[in-house]
Amino acid sequence: MIADALVLARTNLLLEVRRREVVLGMLQFVVATLVIVHFALGGDRASDPRAAAGMLWVVIVLTAVLALNRTFAADTEESALDALLLAPVDRAAIWLGKVLAQLAFLAVVELFAAPLFWVFFLDEADADPLPIVAAIALADIGLASVGVVVAALAQATRTREVLLPVLFLPLAIPLVIGAVTATLAAVDGDAGTLRPLGFLALYGTFFAVLACGVFDHLVAE
Amino acid sequence: MTARPSTVLPLVAATVLIPLAVALIFWWVADDVDQGFSQRIFYFHVPVALTTYACFGYAAVCAALHLARRDPVWDLRWYVRSHVGTICGTLVLVRGPIWAKISWGVWWNWSDRQLNVFLILFLFYCAYFMLRFSLEEGERRATFSSVYVLLGIGLVPLSILAVRIAQTLIHPTVFTSEGTNMPGSFFITFLVALGGMLALAASMISVELRGKTTALRIRDLRRQLAGTDA
Repeated sequence: MIADALVLARTNLLLEVRRREVVLGMLQFVVATLVIVHFALGGDRASDPRAAAGMLWVVIVLTAVLALNRTFAADTEESALDALLLAPVDRAAIWLGKVLAQLAFLAVVELFAAPLFWVFFLDEADADPLPIVAAIALADIGLASVGVVVAALAQATRTREVLLPVLFLPLAIPLVIGAVTATLAAVDGDAGTLRPLGFLALYGTFFAVLACGVFDHLVAE
Repeated sequence: MTARPSTVLPLVAATVLIPLAVALIFWWVADDVDQGFSQRIFYFHVPVALTTYACFGYAAVCAALHLARRDPVWDLRWYVRSHVGTICGTLVLVRGPIWAKISWGVWWNWSDRQLNVFLILFLFYCAYFMLRFSLEEGERRATFSSVYVLLGIGLVPLSILAVRIAQTLIHPTVFTSEGTNMPGSFFITFLVALGGMLALAASMISVELRGKTTALRIRDLRRQLAGTDA
């Protein structure tokens, strides 16, 4: 099953990488949003690292929504999902493949965005980078697990681009609360990052198990 | 058509209990020492919030049963419960700020735990209606919306946990592990109001369910008729 999932993830990523405009577009989206954040926080006064730390998560969640819009794009365009369902592949492997591809996608964007964010907003703050990196990694698992199921739901509707954020954002609120708490603690140089990080891990595990379980019902339709 | 007992009983209970609760609230219970007259909104506010949770919880159970049994009856049942739950939720979100403005001096308090959890849950169920109305009627719509609501089962405990980690508690806690935190007359009035609200919700659910079932039957009959005419 893991091998199947890896093959599927690789296929998904290859499709997106070959179509360069998606990855490049995402990177440009992140930079443009960070600049917007800077000015939205009032230009020079954007040096308030606490406000900026919260905005990091707005950028990450919006980027995840963009990436999720692409999750089933290739499958619906070429009706590849039907072919995939005929293949002797475990349904859970399809879900896992999509999640892995989504994680890789998010990781690429964040590897680019996080250092930029640091340079823009946290350079002068006495922040600890390790908990922030851990929070991003743990949050990605939760975002990808629940996001793939929501993307599968949204792609069945007529208004999928609008519906995806509508369905996804309420589910992402607890995740954002936990992630922002961890980031703020790190920015303040607090020791209290462990509890929110533990919460992010719990959220990721819970939704990974639940999403894996219900995904079967979605593709069976 | 005569109504079945399942509709009549809650309807009668609601008609008796809600006016009784209003009478008790205005003429029987004393003013709260701390909050004065404004505290009386509590007798309706909290029962409506509890009714919302009851409707949403029951809806999630029906959704799980639908996925397990694949019976359209359960789809209709949980849709109606989440519908009534959302109506009650809107009431809570309108009335909560009125109470908060008088009691706390602000319309909305982001550091209040219950307010935030309730808002997240409400947004989630509103999103569910968007999903339901974006899909064509049929088996697929029923399955897809059930799956979405199942995702929400984790949302309540996780939201409570997240907000607890992030924030402080200032919401008045009425029920503690040592029992209720209010005098007898307050508690009786509260129970009457709660019973009235639950009965009202049950009768709304029952009426809507009957309306929807009848509409479906009429549609089927029309189809059959059109089929035999052709």
